[in-house]
Formats: sequence, structure tokens, C-alpha cells
Amino acid sequence: MQNETILGTRKAQKPGLKKNMKDHLVAYSFIAPNFIGFALFTLVPMIFAFVLAFVKWDGANPMDFVGLRNFSRLWGDATFHKALWNTIVYTVGVVPLTMVCALGLAILLNQKIFGRNAMRTVFFFPYVASLVAVAAVWNFIFSPTMGPVNQILHTVTGLPLEELPRWAADKDWAMFTVVLFTVWKNMGYYMVIYLAGLQGVNPELYEAAELDGAGAWKRFRNVTIPQLAPTSFFVLMILIINSFKVYDIFINLFAGADNQLNDSTRVLVYQIYNTAFRSLDYGYASAMAIVLFLLVLGVTIVQFRGEKKYGQ
Amino acid sequence: MVGSNKTVKVGILMIAYILLAAVLLCMLVPYLWMLSSSLKLNKDVFTFPMQWIPDQPRWENYADIWTKIPLGRFIYNTAKLSVIVTVLQLLTSSFAAYAFSKLQFKGKNALFLGYIATIAIPWQAYMVPQFIMMRSMGLNNTHLAIILLQAFSAFGVFLMRQFYQGIPDELCEAARIDGLSEYGIWAKIMLPLSKPALSTLTIFTFVSTWNDFLGPMIYLTKTELKTIQIGLRMFISQYSAEYGLIMAASVISIIPVLIVFLGLQKYFVQGIASSGIKG
Amino acid sequence: MRLKRFLGITLAAILAIGLLAGCSGTKGNGADTGTQKPDNSAAATSDTGGNGSDGNDPVTLKWALWDWEATAYYQPLIDAYKTAHPNVTIEYVDLGSTDYMTMLSTQLSGGADLDILTIKDIPGYANLVKQNHLEPLKGYIGEQGIDTAKYGGTVEQIQVGDEVYALPFRSDFWVIYYNKDLFDKAGVPYPTNDMTLEQYDELARKMTSGSGAEKVYGAHYHTWRSAVQLFGILDGQHTILDGEYDFLKPTYERILKEQEDGIVMDYATLKTSSTHYSGVFYNNSVAMMNMGSWFIATQIEKVKSGESQSKNWGIVKYPHPDGVEPGTTLGTITSLAVNQKSENKEAALDFMKFVTGEEGAAVIAATGTIPAITTDEVVNSISSIEGFPADENSKAALSTAKTYLEMPMHEKSADIEVILNEVHDSIMTENTSIDKGLEDMKTRVQQVLNN
Repeated sequence: MQNETILGTRKAQKPGLKKNMKDHLVAYSFIAPNFIGFALFTLVPMIFAFVLAFVKWDGANPMDFVGLRNFSRLWGDATFHKALWNTIVYTVGVVPLTMVCALGLAILLNQKIFGRNAMRTVFFFPYVASLVAVAAVWNFIFSPTMGPVNQILHTVTGLPLEELPRWAADKDWAMFTVVLFTVWKNMGYYMVIYLAGLQGVNPELYEAAELDGAGAWKRFRNVTIPQLAPTSFFVLMILIINSFKVYDIFINLFAGADNQLNDSTRVLVYQIYNTAFRSLDYGYASAMAIVLFLLVLGVTIVQFRGEKKYGQ
Repeated sequence: MVGSNKTVKVGILMIAYILLAAVLLCMLVPYLWMLSSSLKLNKDVFTFPMQWIPDQPRWENYADIWTKIPLGRFIYNTAKLSVIVTVLQLLTSSFAAYAFSKLQFKGKNALFLGYIATIAIPWQAYMVPQFIMMRSMGLNNTHLAIILLQAFSAFGVFLMRQFYQGIPDELCEAARIDGLSEYGIWAKIMLPLSKPALSTLTIFTFVSTWNDFLGPMIYLTKTELKTIQIGLRMFISQYSAEYGLIMAASVISIIPVLIVFLGLQKYFVQGIASSGIKG
Repeated sequence: MRLKRFLGITLAAILAIGLLAGCSGTKGNGADTGTQKPDNSAAATSDTGGNGSDGNDPVTLKWALWDWEATAYYQPLIDAYKTAHPNVTIEYVDLGSTDYMTMLSTQLSGGADLDILTIKDIPGYANLVKQNHLEPLKGYIGEQGIDTAKYGGTVEQIQVGDEVYALPFRSDFWVIYYNKDLFDKAGVPYPTNDMTLEQYDELARKMTSGSGAEKVYGAHYHTWRSAVQLFGILDGQHTILDGEYDFLKPTYERILKEQEDGIVMDYATLKTSSTHYSGVFYNNSVAMMNMGSWFIATQIEKVKSGESQSKNWGIVKYPHPDGVEPGTTLGTITSLAVNQKSENKEAALDFMKFVTGEEGAAVIAATGTIPAITTDEVVNSISSIEGFPADENSKAALSTAKTYLEMPMHEKSADIEVILNEVHDSIMTENTSIDKGLEDMKTRVQQVLNN
């Protein structure tokens, strides 16, 4: 009730277009410091990269305009399709699992339990650690013939080592391995976001729900989840974007001495990197980047609509 | 009834703790391995079966890393960059996020969506144009280049905006009626209320600047300007990799980040309700 | 207000287009002057050459390289050059060894003021040539009377059309390292300087013994493609740029069989456990290992420091296919080039001439590294380094009969290399059959070649 009156009075106060103009200017002044810096140093090169998608350029010599040819080439490029497919599979695997783990951890570590701060730090650890180091350990532990994981599986199940999964080196298990690794490495990061989000949940809502006789699950379902909606939207978007952009993790986990991935592990950004820097085909690489951009833009719009609806 | 309920609760708690302990161990294994490897000779780092406690711990590794590369200089450079970038990022992001969350202006949604979508463009795709541009501005081999690249990100705006969404609009409205300007609302109401979010952004920005590799690699080619991640890679040369030293330097490089994380922990407990919002 | 936003975006677009135009504009100029400049600079050099090494004007040259700390010959080369040219200061720019060529190309595209460029591999070289970053050298070579025959045919192998854009200063080739103690213990005679691939396979099988931590593997192949696949090109009948790869089948069959029989360590295990070839050799767990000559200096040093327990070791020539001359092997060269846009081109060329010439070769050889010009003197210099195996075979192994470059020069060699590496990985991890892998290689490489 109070809201309406406030909004009402505010609306009545508006002295017309002039005030409106001033409001806008104030809003822009808030955005300006970040946006100007962003536009100058990031957006301009990005637009440049967009333009590149319509030319043939090797990074140094004059460019040739080729129209949409770079995009039509994408249709027939089997390695690109494979990379796109692998990226999507990876994203589908990583996103829900990470969200569930991160939220679970955040709720758990938001309780007053023993050693809470230390535990939060431990879960955040893998995210901070140098990727080179943790990927090396991970691979070492999951090494097919001599790694402890397969040794234990061998002892427990009695299966010969040859029949056990070869994890990162196995085309059927590679994706599973990398999803597991990513969730392990990054869940602490999203846990932190959720933890911050949980601090914004009004405890009075819980008290009210409890008075209404709502159980733990109901309180979670009806208070926590809706209250965390903006946080979840953020986590979801960043997770999707980061999964689509994955590169370092794959290189460190799978790439051999020649720095190459193979058919079952090739991802989009690897393909972009190779196309730009090995094949010196910046135009074609940009076309791939635009596909990635459009994919994410599409997902963002859908999610954004969902968030607005949910928020009402 | 009450009694049995209590035992169930205790039982659940017990199971939860055991589970947690197991998971914690999984999380810590790589660290233990890192620590253990940092005390080994390079050739013994990747040998089966794993040796968790080296026979002859090589404490020299921790001395060598300071002399083989200018690690002290690198840490100083990285710390300087991380602090400046984080401060700028916090200021500009929370500022812009306020407009996206609490103010009405034309093109808000379109601009915001565009902002988010740009996060999706992989850096590799516009790295070269950006480098050409920065060089033409004379920013090559300056720390300023890294600062300008990192300090104004769409990510920070997005993060802060989402947290501001959770703060009731009524608070702002009330403040406006009290005669506070929008800048005043941002400074006096939003900032104090968003401590958990600011802490999150601080941690993330600090970590990502601290761990950034490719940016410094391209922009900083002078040894005296380089950062710690480049330093780590210096132990990997064409025909060999000094894993013992890499691990020792990694252990050292994690410490500052952990200090930042632990220092900001206390802001993850203050409830928003303590500031007295009317439901 | 919409106008304002629109304005902002337009402004950004204009900036971008300006950048685009400006960039392609300067590049265009660069390409134009590129064709004229060689004459100018050649003339200028002969001028200063006439004046002798007066060099009163101080010059600072920037040298792009990798692994400054880990490489023994950089500083001695600079010092040696400085004694003759005290007016020249040489600064190094260390771009790191991983992705060095990409980093170099990016720096040059950004207009970095580098003068002397170290070339790490052929695909990267082909790309720099394509990008017009490198100064053509034919004119200079003729002017200075540099005899390219001294480089054992490698200069011809990196020619692009009629031009050449780099001169090699370091030349590594593949040999077999073996652990004498393990052979003595097994009572098997040492490998020789004349082994066929089948004999090598036999010997490796004979030398395999034990299990668990005591296991000794007869041979060891590092996870590089070149360590396995390139046995297939030693007969000189095929190159890996052919677009036809059936000829690799026997090689893959042999190696995979060895892997299956436990003669060599499993590729997948090696890859996932980041096992470095030096570690297994130091730890006495492999009897023989094919590796480049760059490992000689490292092994000598690590025996001295005690890290390598394989104290009693030797080298022999690379195994060869039946009917091919012993000493036929794979090679890889490291070269120097000059930035086409360098402001100190004459000085840079002169430094390049010094490093790639005989004086440079002597300095490099003194550090235990094999220079591109291998005279008897150089061989003697290396084999007389303290710690080099004393037997005659090891010394003889330093001379080669025919060297095939690991990656030959081709306009598309960078693209082809990516494909070969990817498929090699699939075959070695047994994620694809040999036949299917080679077929895949063929299809994809053909596509690149015809594009």
C-alpha cells in the first residue's frame, strides 16, 4: 500500500519533460565513467573485430572485403561444427551442476557452523590456484594406468585396468572429466556470489514463513529461491558465458606437448585461436566469435525476459 | 517426540559433517600435492607412486625462486596493478550499476543487454585490434595499459546491478522524499548496504588481475614491468619445465589472494535487515 | 536521449573505422617500401662496410628471443659482438617459449620496435613471411658474399619463392640417447650408429624388463608428434605436406604395437601425467630414447648437478629405414631474421650476419649447442666438452648424412601442422583407428591445400 502512495506522489511531482531530461542526464552520468572506459578500450576493438568478420585479413597486410563469405564457410566447416557441438555439450553439463553445488554450499556455509570461514576459504581455493598446477594434479590423479583413481577402481571392482575409463585420454570420458574438473574448480567462485546474495535475504521473511508453519523445504522454495532470483540470473548468465568461452581449462587438461586438442575435446575458442593465430585468418575467426556472441545474446534475452517476469 | 526429533537432527548434522570433511579433503588434495611438489626436485614431481612427503625436502626451492627470477619485483608489480584495478572497478561498476538498477532512462534495457553480451566475446577475437590501438596510443609497456583494459568491465556492472536489484526500491524512494540526491542515495544508502557485493567484486577483480597472464604477456615485455604469472611461466622453457620451482612460486603467489579473501569474509554475514527496512 | 546513445555508438564506429583504415593504410605503405628498401639498405651497408667498423654512432638493437635465462649462448654472443662493435648495445625482449611465434607476430602487427627476430619454427616463419614482417635477405646475402652452402641445405629448405627471409644459427637434429648401465646390466650390446628401424624395435624389445617401480622400458617416445610420426619420412619418398598419409601406417603400427606390448610407456599416461622425457631418462627407467641434440647440453649439466642418475650414457645416430644411409635424421633449425620496419636495419643485418656466421657458430658450439654451420672444428668443440660421452660412436653420431626438417616450408604449414597434431593425438590415444585417422588427415589437409 505504502509503495503505491510513494509512487503515486512521485508521479504527480513530475513537472514534465524538463525534469525527465534531467533524470536521464543524472542516469547517464552514473553510467559514464564505466561506459566511456569500456567503450574506448574494449568496445572499439570489439567493433573492429566485428568488421573483420566481413573481410579477409592476415593481421598485417591490407584487408579484402569478402562480404558474407566467412559466414557461409562456417556452414560447411566440419571442425567448427564439432567445436560448437562440444562447447554446447560442455555448457549443458557444467551449468546446472555448478549452480546446484554452489547454491548448496552457500546455504550450508551461511549457517552458523563450526569452522565456517576456514571452509569457505577451502572451497574457494581451487578457483584461486594456478590452473597449470591444478590441471597437472588432476590429470595425474586420473591418469589411466597408474593414477590413484583407477588403481582404487581396479582394486574395488576387480576390473582390469584396460577396461576402466581412461578419463582425460578417453574420447568417451573426456567431456565427463572436464565437466567434473570445472565444477570442482569453479563452484567456490559461484558459492561466493550466492553467499553475498544470501546476505540480502530479509530474515523477517523466514520468520514470517515459519510463523505460517512452513517447513525447511517450503521456506527454501518460497523465500530463498525468489529472493535470490537476481543472483541466480547473474550466476546463470556468467556460467553460460564462461562455459561458451572456455579455453584455458581444455588446453591445460587435454592439450598434449604440441598444444593441440582433438576431435572430442575441440572447443570454440580453441578454434578461434587457431584460425586467427595459426592460420592468420582473422576474418574467419571473427565470424566464429560473432556466432558465439549471437548465441549468448539469444540466451541473455530469453533469460532477461524470464527474470523480469519472475521479478513481478 | 521432541527427543527423537533432536536425535534425528544430531544424526543429520553428523552425516553432514562427515560428508563435508570428505569433500574438504577432495578440495585440499591439489594443495597438499602442490606443497609437497614444491619441496621436490623437478624430476621427482611426476613420478608414480606419489610421494606425499619427500624424503629429502628441498627447501632451497623457496630460496631459488627469488634469485632465478625477480620474483619480488613481480609481486610488487602485480600487487600494484591489482589494487588500482580493483579500486577503479569498484567505483565505476557500483556507480553504473546504480543507474541500471534504480533509475529510469531511455535505452536502459538495450544498453544493459548489450553490455552483458559483450562479456561473451572471447578476448582472443579482439586482442590484436586492441593491441594495435593501445600501441598507437603509446601505451605499450606501461602498467596503465593493463589498468585501462581491466578496470572498466561489463562484468562488474552486471554483478553490482544484480545485487542492487535485491535492495527494495522503497528505500530509494524514501530517501528521495527526504531530499537526498541520486548521488547521495548511492553514497549513503546503496554503498553501505552492498558490502557483501562489493566484497565479492573486490575478491573477483583482485583474483582475476592477480592471475591474469595473457594481458601482461602481450603488453609488458620489459622485465621490470612483468607480473607474477609471467614469472611462473619463466620456469617453463622450450625443452624443460622446472615444476618444483613452479609449485613453490605458486604457493607463494596464492598467499596474498588468500589474505584478501579472509579479510573480506566478515562482510558476508551482515544481513540487510539490520538496517531496518519496512517490509 | 536516444540521439545521445546513437551518437556514442556512431563515434565508436567511426573510431573503429578510422583504426581500420589507418591500419591497413600503414600496412600498405609498409608493403610498398618493403620492395624498395632492400636496395637502399644494401647500398647503405656497403657504405658503412667501406668505412670499416668505425661505428661511432651509438646504436641500440632490440632482439626478440625466448628463454633468456635458460639459454647459454645469448649473452656470450652479445658479448662477442660488442667487443668488435662497442657502439652497439643489444637489448633483449624475452617473449617466453610457449606461443613465442604468436606473440612475436602480435608484437610486430602492433608495430613493435624490434630489430632482430629469432625464428623458432617453420610454421611461424611462414606466417611472418606472409605478413610481410621480415626483411628479404637475398640481396644482402649476395652483397656480403655469404655462402649458403655452409648451412647444409637448410637455407634452401626455408626459401619462399626466390627469396629467403632468415638465416639459421642453430641446428638441432635427432639422435638416440641410451643408458649404458642398463645395457651392461642386461648384457645386451650397445646400440650402433647404423640401425634400421626394425633393429631399433628389436633392441627395444630386448631391453624391456621388470615391472612396477623396477620396470625398464626399452625405448621412449615423447608426446610430440615429431617423435613418432616422422620416422615415416626418413626414406625421403614422402613429405608430410603431401596430403596423402598412407605411408605413415607402418610407423604407427610399429609404435602402437610397442605401446601395447609395454615396450614403451603409454602415450595417454605420459600425456595426462605431464611426464617429461628428461625425467624418465634421468631416473634410469628407459634404456633408449630418441630426442633432439638440444638434450646433450642439458643431460651433461644434470649429470654434473646430480639430478640425472643416468650418469653413464651415450648417443648414436638415428635409426633409419632399410636402404637409407645411416645418419639420415630429422632436424629443426633456429634462425635469425630482421624486422622489415626496423629503423636500424644495417646494424641489425650485421648482427644477424655475425650470429649466423662462423664466428657466431664458434661461440654457440662452446656452450654445447650445435650451431647451424657444423664444421669439424664445431664437432670437436662439442665432443670435447667435459661430460660428453667418451666413446667414439657418440662423437661420430654428431655428424649427419641427410637432415629432413621436422616441418618443411609451405605457405600453409601452420594449418597443416595443427591438423597433423590433432590427428596424431587421436591415433596415439587410440581414440581413432590408424586407418580412420590417416583418412581424416588426408581429407582435412587436402581441404587446406585446395582452399
